[in-house]
Parts: sequence; structure tokens; C-alpha cells
Amino acid sequence: MRVLRTCRDLGVRTVAVYSDADRGAPHVRLADEAHPIGPAAASESYLRGERIIEVATRAGCDAIHPGYGFLSENAAFAEAVAAAGLVFVGPPGSVQRALGEKTSARRIARRAGVPIAEGTLEAVADERAAADVARRLGYPVLLKPAGGGGGKGMRVVRAAGELASAWRGATGEATSAFGDPAILVERYLEGARHVEVQLIADDHGAVISLGERDCSIQRRHQKLIEETPAPSVDGALRARLAEAATAIARAAGYRNAGTAEFLVARDGGFVFLEVNTRLQVEHPVTEMVTGLDLVALQLLVAAGGRLPFRQQDVRQDGAAIECRITAEDAYAGFLPAAGRLGRVRLPAGPGIRVDTGIESGLTVPTEYDPLLAKIIAWGPTRQVALARMRRALAESFIAGIPTTLPFHQHVLADPEYAAGRYDTSYVERRWHGQTVDPDGTALTAVAVAAVLTARERARHLAPADGSAWTRLAREDALR
Amino acid sequence: MRYEVTVGERTVHVEIAPDGGLLVDDRAVALDAAPAGEGAWTMRLDGACHEVHALSRDPMRLWVDGREVRATVMDERALAARRVGGRAGSGRHELRSPMPGLIKAVHVSEGDAVERGGPLVTLEAMKMENELRAPEAGRVTRVVASPGTKVEAGALLVVLAPE
Repeated sequence: MRVLRTCRDLGVRTVAVYSDADRGAPHVRLADEAHPIGPAAASESYLRGERIIEVATRAGCDAIHPGYGFLSENAAFAEAVAAAGLVFVGPPGSVQRALGEKTSARRIARRAGVPIAEGTLEAVADERAAADVARRLGYPVLLKPAGGGGGKGMRVVRAAGELASAWRGATGEATSAFGDPAILVERYLEGARHVEVQLIADDHGAVISLGERDCSIQRRHQKLIEETPAPSVDGALRARLAEAATAIARAAGYRNAGTAEFLVARDGGFVFLEVNTRLQVEHPVTEMVTGLDLVALQLLVAAGGRLPFRQQDVRQDGAAIECRITAEDAYAGFLPAAGRLGRVRLPAGPGIRVDTGIESGLTVPTEYDPLLAKIIAWGPTRQVALARMRRALAESFIAGIPTTLPFHQHVLADPEYAAGRYDTSYVERRWHGQTVDPDGTALTAVAVAAVLTARERARHLAPADGSAWTRLAREDALR
Repeated sequence: MRYEVTVGERTVHVEIAPDGGLLVDDRAVALDAAPAGEGAWTMRLDGACHEVHALSRDPMRLWVDGREVRATVMDERALAARRVGGRAGSGRHELRSPMPGLIKAVHVSEGDAVERGGPLVTLEAMKMENELRAPEAGRVTRVVASPGTKVEAGALLVVLAPE
């Protein structure tokens, strides 16, 4: 959807591909053409690069944009696209391979003079080898799939006794997500913040930093809230992070949009985590403050064009925050949910942007990521952006399945978050499934609505003019 | 008909009197509930206006004025049943699959004692592995789940009995 919108803005014709589960999805309708590529399971549709290339060739496409999931960080796919005579909108396969594999990414960072977390440069052979490394580094340690990013398969191990189950979980998820069970072991930094730098590079030697994002609000290493500028990063640290990110990109011969991720310790020291060789889910916050369209820049660079600005021209105006609304039950340990959506209302108004592919009546399949919508708020100051986000969240609801909306409302109402005092342990420390109970007339209203809902027949009631209750009483008399 | 509604920590008694009057905690109230589509109402009471949407029926989640709340409703019959010795089989916990998925691992066997929050089953769904945990401490009386099998939402996985 995000890519299609920019293409439409630019007058570029689009061809979408879809699985059987997405036949009626909004992205299919927004494209000029759409072609089926297989059954619902991603392994038989969105991950089948050869089918996607075949569709592109048949439809006469010039370029393929891989989006943010599925094959967007698959070097073999990028190479196959190029071999088919099409333009891949993203870094070339060789760069993706060098950076996508974490051991080689760590070597590149070290060569560029950027600090990396202590740990293995190679994948460890088995659980016993992992235990040896962990003992040497000292707990806590982090188990990390060598084959891919996005937090899938990562496990923090705080004591030797937890290693066995964490090892099983990490290798299992790494295999199902990346087709590769290889695992790295690193020292885990407690109380650190996840800060990343957005980069864009062209074929003519320009590598430009577009500012940082703090993405520390995470669960299971999956980001939930991102913001820019990072409230904990001052001007000096911002400059050092940008310098480190561009150094890694230059060392890797980077092209197109990408993100260098860092962990920043409490004392301002930082270590390199990884480079995401694609557009990221949280890119809109950067767009809101820079006024740039990152997808348009990606297309420009992919077509061999020069970036139309220099580093010193990049301006950050105000602050932006993004809340990811996912199909997960925030009251049940973020357990994924699926099913048919009831009524959906998403926010609008000053400073609000919503990127979504859902609407009322759509069925959320179990096969894909649980992301439903991204709500982005911009303000001239962080305070205004947060106030707008609070207002936007209160305007929103998604009926039918549990979502993370109550979690986001809790975070935005938390004085610690508002003060910018948070790190990657925030969710564990501050979220215990808190609810805000209504009182006064709102409590009466909700109690009566609960009765009406429990009776199911409520929806057949005539518009209430007082007679609704008479009718309920009559029904009761007949029971 | 009289209902006991629990909204978060609070309990409210709602009664629909034979004459059609609405009593809330034994007080007559003039609540105007205008339906605003399926499962949606605009409710006016004492000059205050509230927007209420039913998000889901079971478990019941409602949305009121920008906030999600959870509610349970018991009618007279359920209340009477509770008065005469509690709900049948109370304390016995059935762990059911919250969604369709693949059983990756079963961490307990019949007869095992488990702590509250102890892992019972690992369910893979939406590309993530989810640990399903014991809601209360107890003893495992039945294990239905087996690794490698696909399950539907609501499928019985493990039964626990309190110690």
C-alpha cells in the first residue's frame, strides 16, 4: 500500500501480486494490475521469488519493489531480479549478502571503526558451544539468528539454566523465519536503548543520514513504538551515530534506503547491531520530520538518479511518533489474534497520518505478520506530537479481535514515557495489563451496553425512545 | 430481569423492571440509548453523552469514550447457580488454543505439578512461537496436545486441576 501510493503520486503504473488469502485485500484494488501467485502460506506465494519475477516479466514491469517483509532482505531474490533484466528497488544482492549475514556485518562495522557488541563473529555450532561462549562473556547474553533481522528468533538468556529452552526457541524460529538455524551469541546490554539511523545512498557516491529513531519500546524484540528525534540523544551523540552509520554504509558500498541499528548504553556509549537493507516499517516518522518521501527517493536511486540534496540540506522539523497497532492481545502477553474484523475506526485530524491496509469486514489471516495499522503523529514539539497521538488513539477502535491499542494508550499516558525515560526493558517493567475503568455515567452506559450485548438480540431493537426497555421487559416476561 | 455486570474492578446491577423502567444499582435512571449501528450506541444520561461500541462478545470487550474495557454479565439464573455452591467444575482449568496454529512442543505430562505461569505448550502462529502458560498452579490431569499437530482456535490442549 505504502509503495503503491507513492507510485500513484508519481504517475508510475503498478502491478501487485497476491496470495489466495489476500484476493480482496486493499493493496490488490489500489494497483493498476494484480496477479495471483499462490496459496495463503507465504512459503508458497510471497516467498516464491520466481513466480513474482515471472509475473513482473509477463506484465512488462521495469522494476520490483520488495516492500518491507518477505523477500525484501533476500540477496538471492535481488540477484534473480537483476538477472531477469529488471531493476530491484533496494541494495544489490552482494551488499545485502554482506550486511544481511550478521557475522559479516559485524566484520564490516569493525573495519569501519564502529564499536560492536562483544561476542562471536561466527555462528556457534551447538548449544554446548553457546554455553561456553556465554560463560566467557558472562550472563546475560543474547542469542541472535545469523540469517536475518527484525527481532525474530532473538532470545535474552539471563542464567545458564535458561539456555536450553532459549536455544530451542531461537533455532526453531530462525529456521522457520529465515530457513537458517545459525545462531550468534553476544553480550546483552541491560538498560540500553535501541536507536537507529535512516540512510539513503545513490550510485554516485552520496551517502546521507536522515536522522535517528528511538525504537526501544519493544516486546519479544519486535518494535511497537518509534519516535524521532530520540529523546535521549543529544547533538553530539546524534552526530557520532550518523557518522558511524554512514561509515558502515560506505564500507559496504551501500545503495538505496537502509537503516543502521545501534544499542545505546546509559552512558552514551553505543554498539552496532545490524543494518536493515530495506525500507523499515517505522520510516514514516522520518518522513514526517524531514518532509521527504522515502519510497520516491528509493525509486529515484534505483533508476540511477542522483539524490537531489546534500547532507547539510537535510532538516528535521518538529517531532514524530509511530504506534504500531497489531492483532495481538496486549492483556494476554501479546498473543497473536486472527479473525474477522468488525467495525474499524482509525483517526484523522491535525498532524495525524495513518498507514493501513485494513477496513471493516476484512479477515486477518494467521499466515502473515500481525500489523494492522500504523498511526503516526507529528507536532512542532515532542509534547504536541504526544498529545496528538493520545487524542488519535482515543479516536480509534478495531472491533472483532484484540489489538495493542490499550497498550499504546497506557504508554502514552505514562509520565516516564512522556519524560523520555525508557529503554528496551520498558514493556517488561511498566506494562502489566493495566486497565482504566470508567466511572460515573460512563460506567452506567457501559454496564447497560454490556447487558444489551450479552442479549445478542440487542441489535434488533428499534431505535430507543424509552420503549427499548419496555420491549426488553416484555421479552423477559415471555421467558 | 436483573443482571450483575462486572466492568474491570467495579460491579453494577442492572435491572429491567416489568414496567420497562431501567434500574441501575436499584436506582431508576433515564438513560437514552440510541443505536448507532450494530453493536454501537450513543448513550445520554444526566446531560453526559457517551459513545459505546461492542468490540467482541466473548470475552466481552467494550469501547467507551476512547477506552477499551472488559466486562462480564451474569443474569439471574447464573447468579442463582453461583449462590448454590459455585459453578460446576470450578477450579478446573482447561487450556484451549487461543488461535489456529501448530503445536511445536508440549512441556508437561499427565501428573506433573505446575506453577502459575509455568509453560505448558508452545504454539506457533503468525510466524511467532507463543508459550501458553498455566493460569494457576495445579496438577496436569490430561494432555490432549501433541507436538507437530495443527490445531484450530478453541481446541482443548491441557487440563489442570487445583492441588
